[in-house]
Amino acid sequence: MNFLIALMVIVPILCALFLNLLHKKDRTIKVVTVLLALTLPALPLLANYGLHYFGGYVPLVENPTLANNLPPLITDTALNTFHPAITYSFQSAQQLFVFIFGLVALLAIFVSVFETRRPSGVYAYMMFMGVAAVTAVILTDDIFNLYVFFEIAALATVGIVLVSNVKGNYETALKYMIIGSIVAPLLLLGIALLLGVTGNVNITDIIYSIKNGLVDPQNPVILMACALIVFGWLYGSGLPPFHTIKSAIYSKALPSGAALMQAFSVFIFVAMGIIILRIFSYLPFSQWVILGVSLMAMILGITMAILQTDLKRMIGFLAVGELGYIGIGLGLSTAYGITAGLFQAVNEAMITAILFLGFGVVLYQTGISDTRKLGGMMVKTPLVAFLVLLGGFAMAGVPLLNAFQSKLMLIQGSIKAGLPELGVIMILLSIVTFMTFMKAFHAVYLRPMPDELVIKHEKIPKATIIAMLVLLGVCLIFGLFPQVATSYLQPLATSLAGGIL
Amino acid sequence: MIEYILMIVTILGAILALMQRDLLKAAILTGVPGAAIAFLYQYLLAPDVALTQAIVGSAIIPVFFALAVYKTRRVEE
Amino acid sequence: MIIDVQLASLFTAVALVVIGIFAAVFLDNLIKKVIGLAFIGDGVNLFLISMGYKAGGIVYIQLPGMAADWFAQNSAYPLPFALVLTSIVIGASTMAVMLGIIIVLYKKRGSISASKILGE
Repeated sequence: MNFLIALMVIVPILCALFLNLLHKKDRTIKVVTVLLALTLPALPLLANYGLHYFGGYVPLVENPTLANNLPPLITDTALNTFHPAITYSFQSAQQLFVFIFGLVALLAIFVSVFETRRPSGVYAYMMFMGVAAVTAVILTDDIFNLYVFFEIAALATVGIVLVSNVKGNYETALKYMIIGSIVAPLLLLGIALLLGVTGNVNITDIIYSIKNGLVDPQNPVILMACALIVFGWLYGSGLPPFHTIKSAIYSKALPSGAALMQAFSVFIFVAMGIIILRIFSYLPFSQWVILGVSLMAMILGITMAILQTDLKRMIGFLAVGELGYIGIGLGLSTAYGITAGLFQAVNEAMITAILFLGFGVVLYQTGISDTRKLGGMMVKTPLVAFLVLLGGFAMAGVPLLNAFQSKLMLIQGSIKAGLPELGVIMILLSIVTFMTFMKAFHAVYLRPMPDELVIKHEKIPKATIIAMLVLLGVCLIFGLFPQVATSYLQPLATSLAGGIL
Repeated sequence: MIEYILMIVTILGAILALMQRDLLKAAILTGVPGAAIAFLYQYLLAPDVALTQAIVGSAIIPVFFALAVYKTRRVEE
Repeated sequence: MIIDVQLASLFTAVALVVIGIFAAVFLDNLIKKVIGLAFIGDGVNLFLISMGYKAGGIVYIQLPGMAADWFAQNSAYPLPFALVLTSIVIGASTMAVMLGIIIVLYKKRGSISASKILGE
């Protein structure tokens, strides 16, 4: 059922458009939204692996009847193997990514429907639109399509921030858009340069041209394109120098929106990172650029997280820091390291979502996100406190939970790749991460409640707890049986490391 | 020859638009590079893009800017 | 002497991008910042279009009577043009959203100066 590949992108867009039509009927809109969101994780499970060609036809070499009457100018050259369509590639790694992304999106939408008093059609619209865009970024094999959906994802992010009524959201959104409108055209310029050199926008064909000597691989224009695309990558995923604006964006959204947006960043980071590795990994220093950027992200993100007093801002910086681990995995460029990095990405998307949702309960109950004014929430919500603690353990890499497995793999991978220093830094930063988390946990839950703290909502929405339990369950499964996830990621990692494809 | 003139008009128009202190004038002047680029596309063998750019670049975007100026303030502070 | 059209339009594109980045980074007025951002987008589009241009070529529409071989060798390269159509629309919608945010911010804060609104 190959058409399901296309539906993975089309269904969320249709859902978004449909939900925008429903306005006043509160109860039905809730049910319809959740039902529609259920398709997000279901579709990747049903679809078969393969390629999907949007608005075009298969390569001529696979369809001889079409090539019958064409001149030898086309059939005897590389044109015969090129993909004259927008190609979506769906393999086992993409299946896992889209499934986990769909799960996080489903739970975020589920929570948002029950936490916001008026389930506004616009909020759901923005969330579905962003999901469609990021799914397309994961699946696409076409570098211009990547740019289009990159822009839509950025616009959806801005929309999610604008819908929340957090103070200062408009300013932050405008800042994010101004920076984005400088970076995104530069990304397009990089794509344009690549198109100019190779005459193609299909990634597989670009790689074919570079590998088979159709273009000069040492052409300085390709270097320039690489630099510009890496720049766009940094912006899309919120790596330094964009970590401040990205964490500000998280802190100005509702918790459910923030949980979804960090999944956007993680999967844009992974998808574009894979593309950069595929195209530019033959450049000798590409590995060091990725490693350097990731190290900076880890160190800056985690150290800046310690200094924050705003809860959401703090988790935002921690999320940026965790992206660094994924980058280290990709930068190691061994099959084992890349598998570890991709596995870490899957784990990270879930764990940060748990933390955003869990601390979001505090926000929901008190309306305050300043850690200095909070305290004693343990008495009010022991169950949520426990779940958040488990989420924090997972993030720090405590055994039995998933990030332990992926971080262990990362450290082993860095030792195998001959870079044990990276392993030491990762262990140190894990400890700092845990310390930062415990500091926030202590401030919110453990220390005595300040007198002036007023609880606005006594009741916690059950949806939030269900969502956290589901995510923790998946975390536990991946922690106990890591091969469930890694077996999906292995083929992609091997092909990336081997330089094939 | 006309291509070179259009290119010069584009750049001068862009600089002039940014130099205005009156924001309404700046908004309307953004249409000049927009229209010049549209003509340039025609000479660069892209007639369909030229049509789109003529509508978007020389009409829609200046109107957007003019509306924004009308809803905010006209003079730069 | 006169440089050829393609090179000149590439230079124009780069000049537009540079002017746009300058405006977006250094000008204080938010509307002018957005005007600068529009110029960056225009510049990149022009860059793409000039890459597809072929000196002495024809428009990429195969009229009846044109041999396929001759057409393939003489027409401009249409792929960048198709991309630019999408890119123009994306740019325009981004502009619209930004201007909308600016209008809301003006109603809230009474200013369109970047240093007053965005500098905390």
